[in-house]
Amino acid sequence: MTAITERQQRAYIGAIAAEARVNVELETEGMTLNIGPQHPATHGTLRIVVKLDGEQVIDAQPIPGYMHRGYEKLTEVRTYPQVTTLVNRIDWLGHFANEVPFILGAEQLMGIEAPPRAQWIRTIFFELARQANITLFLGDLGAQIGAITPVFYAFRDREHVLNLMESVTGGRFHPNFDRIGGLKDDLPKGWVEECKAVMVRVKGFCDQIEDLLMGNEIFQARLRGVGIIPKDIALSYGLSGANLRASGVDWDLRRDRDYPLAWKHADFNVITHPDGDAFARCWVRLQEVRESAKIVEQLCDGIPAGPIMAKVPRIIKVPAGEAWVSTENPLGEMGYYIVSKGDLGPFRCKIRSASFNNISVVPWVMKGVYVPDVIAILASLYFILGDIDR
Amino acid sequence: MPQLPGVIKGLGITFKTMLQPNVTVQYPHVKEAPAPRARGVIALKEENCTVCMLCARQCPDWCIYIEGHKTKAPPRREGGKPRTVQALDRFDIDYSLCMYCGICVEVCPFDALFWSPEYEYSTPRIGELLHDKEKLGEWFETVPDYQAYEAGSEAKQKKVPR
Repeated sequence: MTAITERQQRAYIGAIAAEARVNVELETEGMTLNIGPQHPATHGTLRIVVKLDGEQVIDAQPIPGYMHRGYEKLTEVRTYPQVTTLVNRIDWLGHFANEVPFILGAEQLMGIEAPPRAQWIRTIFFELARQANITLFLGDLGAQIGAITPVFYAFRDREHVLNLMESVTGGRFHPNFDRIGGLKDDLPKGWVEECKAVMVRVKGFCDQIEDLLMGNEIFQARLRGVGIIPKDIALSYGLSGANLRASGVDWDLRRDRDYPLAWKHADFNVITHPDGDAFARCWVRLQEVRESAKIVEQLCDGIPAGPIMAKVPRIIKVPAGEAWVSTENPLGEMGYYIVSKGDLGPFRCKIRSASFNNISVVPWVMKGVYVPDVIAILASLYFILGDIDR
Repeated sequence: MPQLPGVIKGLGITFKTMLQPNVTVQYPHVKEAPAPRARGVIALKEENCTVCMLCARQCPDWCIYIEGHKTKAPPRREGGKPRTVQALDRFDIDYSLCMYCGICVEVCPFDALFWSPEYEYSTPRIGELLHDKEKLGEWFETVPDYQAYEAGSEAKQKKVPR
């Protein structure tokens, strides 16, 4: 037995320590990565804290609130006619669609109904807002994944829809056109013909995007099989709109609920897709623009003659009561729960916006995906920051 | 070499679009005319204003400042009593606060406020966005006539009091 010299002992300990160090280095800890608040692919300031193991996501938490503007509180210090100008700004791409559920709720409390002409024009503008919104999504989707061309196509053709809005309402982004009991003004002469011509363009844009983006093999490779949301998960997380329909749930408030609006006079299909992946969500939205253009074309042919405003008092006081109205907005189900105490303004207004629920599925769907898919999933879930934070 | 028919089809669309004319407007040199109803700037017809303060009260972000006083105007007919009228001292709209909602134009009961589609009034200083009544009166010359309505409308045709 040889005695271990001090030097040998030191070398032995050193070797063990080195091995331990190597082990520690190899066993990499999870890395925390902030996506946002400022990120080109987030449409605003959504922050997502992603924990990574190598290239794989183990946990993702969306952190909203960087653009909270307090609309629920603001509505309490405004009168009813002033609220529509605020709620335009919730989902700034689906501007007009935000006003409709609020106005319907107030009308429900007051027990009045807009005249048929106003209902038809409201529905037409609702669908135009949907087209303006989803057209931009289809272009932006390409940009977020790395295809630059569709953005310019989308902005080019959305401009025509916005010009239609501007020539009637006066505002491209904030129409503020809906009033309790009807509409602010009637259509100008020659608008219907113009609208039909634009609908042809919108359909042409859909064909272009279908060939340019949806048919592209690289695009499909990025999106097919990525971020699959099964039916039951989609329902339990409260998804709505195209995200839910892409998971195979046949659910559309335009068809299922009876509104004092003109959807019941139009013949349209509710598009669903069984896959539930990112590609299905984009595809469903594209088809929805087509259906929307179809609805507008049908409604343009039969706008009934008549007044555009029901009889309402000059100073609007909504009787005490509570009303909940939600409609199928471009992003999904959007609703207002209005509590009135008989004052000039609402006592309390709860706003249910679609994007907030749509991104709540992010922690579930992002478990185990790879980093490039994070952006693809976020893009396909399609949220508007103003709609999340309100 | 992988088969990429979709990519080639997409390139075909890009090529076709390349041959189409440009849609971009070179702004400071070429200008697009906004729609006549476009909400560009609010114009004031001072003679019609009666200092009723309805617009200032209904404004959602309180960006209209009005001051006025009562004066005696000569009677309408010979030998009548002098009338009491409201004179407008100050009518300012702060466009740095304005949301362009159009509620003030809508509530005005005496046709004193109008929308004009003019939009070129940006300034390097935020204080210059406060337009006083002289400036708002200048905008009145740019107010276009109301458009005729689409068939089937029962709305009454409005007129701009020139």
